[in-house]
Amino acid sequence: MKRKSSLSLLALLMALVLVVSACGKGNGGEASPSESASPTSSGSAEPVEVTLAGWGASPEEQELLQQVLDEFQAKNPDVKVKYEVIADQYMDVIQTRLIGGEAPDVFYLDAFEAPGLIERNVLEPLDGYVTPEFDIDDFEAPMLNAFKGKDGKIYGFPKDYSTLALFYNKKMFAEAGIANPPATWEELREISAKLTKRNGDRVEVYGLGQAPELARQMFMIQAYGGRVVDEQGFAAFATPEGEKGLALVVDQHLKDKTAAQPTDVGAGWGGEMFGQQKAAMVIEGNWAIPYLESTFKDLEFGTAEVPTVNGKKGTMAFTVAYVMNKDAKNKEAAWKLISYLTGKEGMKTWTSKGFALPTRKSVAAELGFDKDPLRGALVAGASYATPWQAGPTLPIVMNNFNNQFVAAYTGQASLTEALKTAQETANKEIEAAR
Amino acid sequence: MAKPGGRHKWREALAGYGFMTPVILILGGFLLLPIGYSVFLAFHKVNLLGDVSYRFVGVANFERMVDDPRLWIALRNTAKYALVVVPSQTLLALLLASILNLNLRFRQFFRTAFYLPTVTSSAVLVLIFMWIYNANGLLNHALAALGLPTYNWLGDPAVALTGIMLMNIWSTAPLFMVVYLAALQDIPDALYEAAELDGANAWQKFWRITVPMLRPVTFYVVVMGIIGTFQLFDQSYIFSAGSGGPNNATLTMVLLIYQYAFKVLDMGYASAIAFLLAVVIMIFTLVQRLIFREERY
Repeated sequence: MKRKSSLSLLALLMALVLVVSACGKGNGGEASPSESASPTSSGSAEPVEVTLAGWGASPEEQELLQQVLDEFQAKNPDVKVKYEVIADQYMDVIQTRLIGGEAPDVFYLDAFEAPGLIERNVLEPLDGYVTPEFDIDDFEAPMLNAFKGKDGKIYGFPKDYSTLALFYNKKMFAEAGIANPPATWEELREISAKLTKRNGDRVEVYGLGQAPELARQMFMIQAYGGRVVDEQGFAAFATPEGEKGLALVVDQHLKDKTAAQPTDVGAGWGGEMFGQQKAAMVIEGNWAIPYLESTFKDLEFGTAEVPTVNGKKGTMAFTVAYVMNKDAKNKEAAWKLISYLTGKEGMKTWTSKGFALPTRKSVAAELGFDKDPLRGALVAGASYATPWQAGPTLPIVMNNFNNQFVAAYTGQASLTEALKTAQETANKEIEAAR
Repeated sequence: MAKPGGRHKWREALAGYGFMTPVILILGGFLLLPIGYSVFLAFHKVNLLGDVSYRFVGVANFERMVDDPRLWIALRNTAKYALVVVPSQTLLALLLASILNLNLRFRQFFRTAFYLPTVTSSAVLVLIFMWIYNANGLLNHALAALGLPTYNWLGDPAVALTGIMLMNIWSTAPLFMVVYLAALQDIPDALYEAAELDGANAWQKFWRITVPMLRPVTFYVVVMGIIGTFQLFDQSYIFSAGSGGPNNATLTMVLLIYQYAFKVLDMGYASAIAFLLAVVIMIFTLVQRLIFREERY
C-alpha cells in the first residue's frame, strides 16, 4: 500500500512539473515582446517584422546574406527581417505555403518559374513603389524583362545573374600542348579528343563534361534556328533545326566518346567532375568559381566564352529576383527590404565576393567584374545570353525533354525519336492542363 | 415484467460511445473527411493557387487518365515492382524465419542484426544505397576487384528500378520475418514428430507441414506487401530527386500523384489518380482473398 501511494504521488508530481513548465514557457514567450518594445522611444510602435525566404547555399553565401540583412536592419531600425532557408524543393514549398496563406513576405523567384507564378496573380506589382532614386534603368534590360508580367508590370527585381562559360584545366592544356581554349565548337571537339585519356577500355579523363538537360542545352537548340516553345506555349523543339544543335552534344558522347555526364564518373555535377579532374573542360556558371576555389584549391583553371556554334555566340543566363507576396501584411516595410537588397548598396555588398554577378550596370562597373580574369568571360556572355525562361509551360516542357533526352544521350533511342516523344508528351500534358 | 436493465443498457451504450468519441473525431477528421474530400475533388477541376476555383467536370479527369502516357508508365512500373518485390520478400522472410527457428547459436544476435534494416529510416537506406550504386561506389569497386565490368548503375533507366527493388526487398523482408517467426513457433511440434515417424525428410516437412500451416500468415504478408509496394514513394523520390527519371524509369503511382498535386498543382486530376490507385489495390486484395481462402475447421 505504501509503495503504491508513493508511486502515484511521484507520477502526480511529474505531471505537475510538466504542466507548470509548459505554462511557464508560454508566459515567458508572451512577456518578451512587450519588454523589447519599451526601449524604442522614437514614438513608433514595436518594429515591423518582414519574413524573407530563400533556398540554401554554401555557408559563405549564407554569411554574406546575413551581413547584408544586418546592414539593412541597422539602417532601418523599424524593420526586423526574419530570414528562413527552405532547404529542398523550394518551389513546391513556396506554392503550398501560398495556397495556405503562410508564405513569406519576400522570397526568391527564379526566372524559370516566374511566368507561371506571375500568371497566378499572387505577387504584388512593384511599379507603384519605385522611386527615382531606385534607378530602374540601371538594371540590365533582359534580366529585368524576365520578371515583367503580360500586363507590363514589374513583379520582381533581379538580384543577380550568372551565365555559362567554358572552364578549362590549364595544366591539362599545357601538357597536351594546346595554347588557347577553343573558339568554335569544331575546335572544342578536336581538343576534347586530344585531352581524353584512356586506360585500356576505361576512360580516365574526358575531354568535356556535359549536362544533358534543357536548362543547359536551350541555346544549342536555338543555334541552328530551332525553338523550344511556340507562341501558344507548346513545345516545338522536335524540328531538324533544333535537332542539329543537340546532335553535336549527343554525338560527342556516343560517337567520339570524348564527353560524358557527371554521373558517368560518379560526380554530382559538372563542377565536381571538373574539380576531380575527370573532365578537362566543362560548361558551368559563376557558382562554380567559389566552389572550385574552396574545394579544389590546387586546381589551375581558366574560363573562356562558350565556343561559337554555327558561327554564332551563345550561352544561357540564369537570374533570380526578389518578389513580394500579394498578401504581405506590411508592404511598405517589405518594399524597403527589396529596394535595399536590389539597390546599389545592397547589391554591391551581396555581389562583392563574386558568388553571383550584379544585374545593375553601375555596380558591375564599380566592382570591375568584366576585367576579372575568371569572371570576364561570364560577364561578356550577358549581352548575347538566352535567359532561361520561356513562358508558364516551360516547366512541363523541361520535364519531358529531360526525361527523353537521357534516353537519346545514353544511346537507347535515336535523337529524332526521343525529341518527338518528348514534344508529343509535353504537348498532351499542356493541352490537358488547360 | 419491466424491461430487464433497459436504462442500464442505455447508460452502458452512452458510456461506450463516450469513450469512442475521441477516436471517432480523430478518425473522422483525419481519415474519413480527407478521403471524402479527395473523392469530391476528383470530379472537379481545381485551382488552389491565386484565384481559387472549383469547376465541376464530371468524369473528365478520369477520361484524361486514359490518354496520359505517364500514368500507364507509372502503373506499369508499380505493377512490375510489386510483382517482383512481393514474392521475393515473402520468400526471403520465410527463409530467414526458418533459419532463425532452428536452434542455432547466437540466435538473439542474428535476430537483432536481421531486423536492423527495418528500423532504419527508409530515407537513410536510400542514401546509403545511392552511394553504393555510385559509379565510384562500393559495388563498382567490388566488381572491379573481381575483374567484372563496372557500370553507371544510377544513370541507366533500365537498371534504376531494379536497384530500388533490391534495396526494398532487403529492408522490408525482416519485418515479415518477425511475423513468420512468431507464426512458426505456433506450429505444434507433434506434427513434425508424426511426420518423422512416417519417414519424411527435411524438405518434405517444410513443404508439407510448415508452408500449409503458415497459409493465413502468408496471406497477411502478401497483402501487406502488395499494399506497401503500390504505395512506394520515398525511395523513388530520393533516388530520382523527385523527377521519376531517368526516362520515367523510377516513376511510381504515388510519385506521379505527388508531381500532379504539388508541382503542377492540379489537385483534381491528382485526386482522380489517387482514387484509381485505391481501386487497383482493392482489386488486388480481393483477388488474393479468393486465392488464399481461409480454411474453415
